[in-house]
Amino acid sequence: MTEYSRQAKGRFVSTGGAKVINLPFQPDYVEFINYTASASGSDNGVPFAYWDSLMGQGVAVINRFQAANQLTTDTVDTLGITTFSAGQLLQFGPTLTVTDVSKAAAASVTTSGAHGLTSGDVVILEGLFETSTTGMPQINGIPFTVTVTGSTTFTIPWNTSQSNYTTISGAATGTPRAKKVLYPYLYFPGQTFISAITTGTTTTIDTTDAHNFVVGQEVAFRIPSQWGTVQLNSLPNTLTPGSPVYGYVIAVTDYNTVVVNIDSSAYTAFNSNQTVASVPGLSYAQIVAVGDVNTGGVQISSTSVLYPPPYTMPIGTTRVNTINGPAIQGAFVNNTSQGFVIGSGVAEGDASAILVGAAEDVIYWRAYLHDMSIPS
Amino acid sequence: MSITTTGNLGPMILQSLAPAMLYVPTPSMNYITVCDKMSMPPNGGTTARFMRPRALTPPTVQLGNSGIDPPAQVPQRDIIDAQMAFFGTGCIINEQVILQDQEGVLAWVSERLAVAMRQAEDLILRDYIVSAASIINAGGGSNGFNPTNLGMSDFSLVATTLDTNNAYKFMSGIEGMDRFGTGPVRSAYFMLSSTELQSDFDSLVGSGFLNQWNYPTNASALPAEYGSAYNIRVLTSSEAPVARNAAINASGVSADVYYNTVVGKQAITHINQDGYSMNLIYRDPYYSGMLAQNATLAVKFAQAQAITQDTAIRNIICTRNSALGV
Repeated sequence: MTEYSRQAKGRFVSTGGAKVINLPFQPDYVEFINYTASASGSDNGVPFAYWDSLMGQGVAVINRFQAANQLTTDTVDTLGITTFSAGQLLQFGPTLTVTDVSKAAAASVTTSGAHGLTSGDVVILEGLFETSTTGMPQINGIPFTVTVTGSTTFTIPWNTSQSNYTTISGAATGTPRAKKVLYPYLYFPGQTFISAITTGTTTTIDTTDAHNFVVGQEVAFRIPSQWGTVQLNSLPNTLTPGSPVYGYVIAVTDYNTVVVNIDSSAYTAFNSNQTVASVPGLSYAQIVAVGDVNTGGVQISSTSVLYPPPYTMPIGTTRVNTINGPAIQGAFVNNTSQGFVIGSGVAEGDASAILVGAAEDVIYWRAYLHDMSIPS
Repeated sequence: MSITTTGNLGPMILQSLAPAMLYVPTPSMNYITVCDKMSMPPNGGTTARFMRPRALTPPTVQLGNSGIDPPAQVPQRDIIDAQMAFFGTGCIINEQVILQDQEGVLAWVSERLAVAMRQAEDLILRDYIVSAASIINAGGGSNGFNPTNLGMSDFSLVATTLDTNNAYKFMSGIEGMDRFGTGPVRSAYFMLSSTELQSDFDSLVGSGFLNQWNYPTNASALPAEYGSAYNIRVLTSSEAPVARNAAINASGVSADVYYNTVVGKQAITHINQDGYSMNLIYRDPYYSGMLAQNATLAVKFAQAQAITQDTAIRNIICTRNSALGV
């Protein structure tokens, strides 16, 4: 081992979903111990796993219990261990064929095969034409955070139960499909599409994917006229012509809902019931980060470091720390990163043996980048 | 008769290295061109802060004859923060390479590292703009996708938007001259676009797009400038952002989606940290292990970026109308 190799180790508590480990390098070898599975010796447990880059991406060699305290070897062939380099935008995962999109307050999307998504992932939908004049093309191209409801189903935060939306079925003409956006939040806060606006003495904004705003964020609106609530737009300002009008986030409800301190009681209602005929050239309502009025960084918590980094909130209210140092809350942040992912794939010989373990499993991992690798 | 040929008396050294290196295909780096520059001072913390005063309301109501002063206004300002981030890359070069290779390895690796660093600066700005600037879908084209291909009305729409927002243009106009095939150029914002859209721009020539070589004078044209339309001058680059096959029309045909950034002055600021940007670091083999075998060449830099005038920037996204070469 010389000075150029890299080694890292760590520990995490599994959620049962894929685990992203950020590192200052992309490892060529990863191994981990599932302490909980090792201690219990229960059937289906995966106490040890190994991955070498020469095996290829997304696989792993594992030990698993085929019965209580009876260890055997196996492999994980998909959703295994993968390295990643999240350095550039507009990268997408494999194309997923969409067979159905329901009319519902949170539209349900069905794919023809297993989608492999995790709640909090972001997808764009394309080709949502049931016929040339019907369907849901109004939401083509919008990034949506998914909530996974099954191996071939997920919901998106958009109300398609409205009159101008038609169910997408297996007979659709537009070859409906979905693509995972691989690195949706490399830079934040930024612009986000709006799915709903609740007017009132304060204004509640729902977005299609994570806004990553904080309390104190200064925001602007870009609402095309057909979406209704154009009074929120930054310009024109009739009182002080040429001076933009901004709002401030006063509450963050969850990943896609914020409350802004603008009294919109008298404003036009938001209308997401756009027509199919409007689609060529249809622009979307957006909320845009402008600045902030904060003076301090993220506050310390019981599990955080002394000076916590900025964080994203991909779904729910769960914070995901960046690899950055501390910054003023609401600052524009670079969230590029690299490392590896322990996936939620299953053993080839036992679909109940999950690589990343069950929720609450304690896992100790090691990652290496070797000086010398000699393929045969 | 015996003729000596290269078959029985071949050259002892078969190859001759050309004295000049071949060029490395490198995209135009347009994003940094339109940025304001700011340098954070040393010991300045992690975050750059900008302050932008807001306009006070013009006192358009007369005082009348009451003798009472009008109520005071409260001045306001906007604050924009951007966190500094650090980047770097390098090469470890064994001394045998330096000793034995015929070309100047250290020289050309240094050059490539410098270009990689400059391109990283540009790509970071590119992706930040895609993330942070608001989006207008092109609707002026006729290809049936959403967004459509760019039409002249899209140029007009986005220029009108920035004008309404009182954005500052980068370039003053070029007065018309008595030269065949040329036309005057308006004062203009910049659009940062893709080389893949150049055929589409060409197809708009009869509708009002003016190719750069049809300017009355090219003195103020930038190397990456392809032409102008209304109050927009278009810079193209092969590294402009594109989402491949991200739009599908009603017939199930897919199209690439391009992000065209239309920008006025001071809309984006590129921030470096004093004394930490553009460092090229050579470390002699002396510092690598007991046999001192390996030299290192590396670059590192610090960069942050912020949209400092959100009203002066828009991404107009579009699809393409013309075929793409390979």
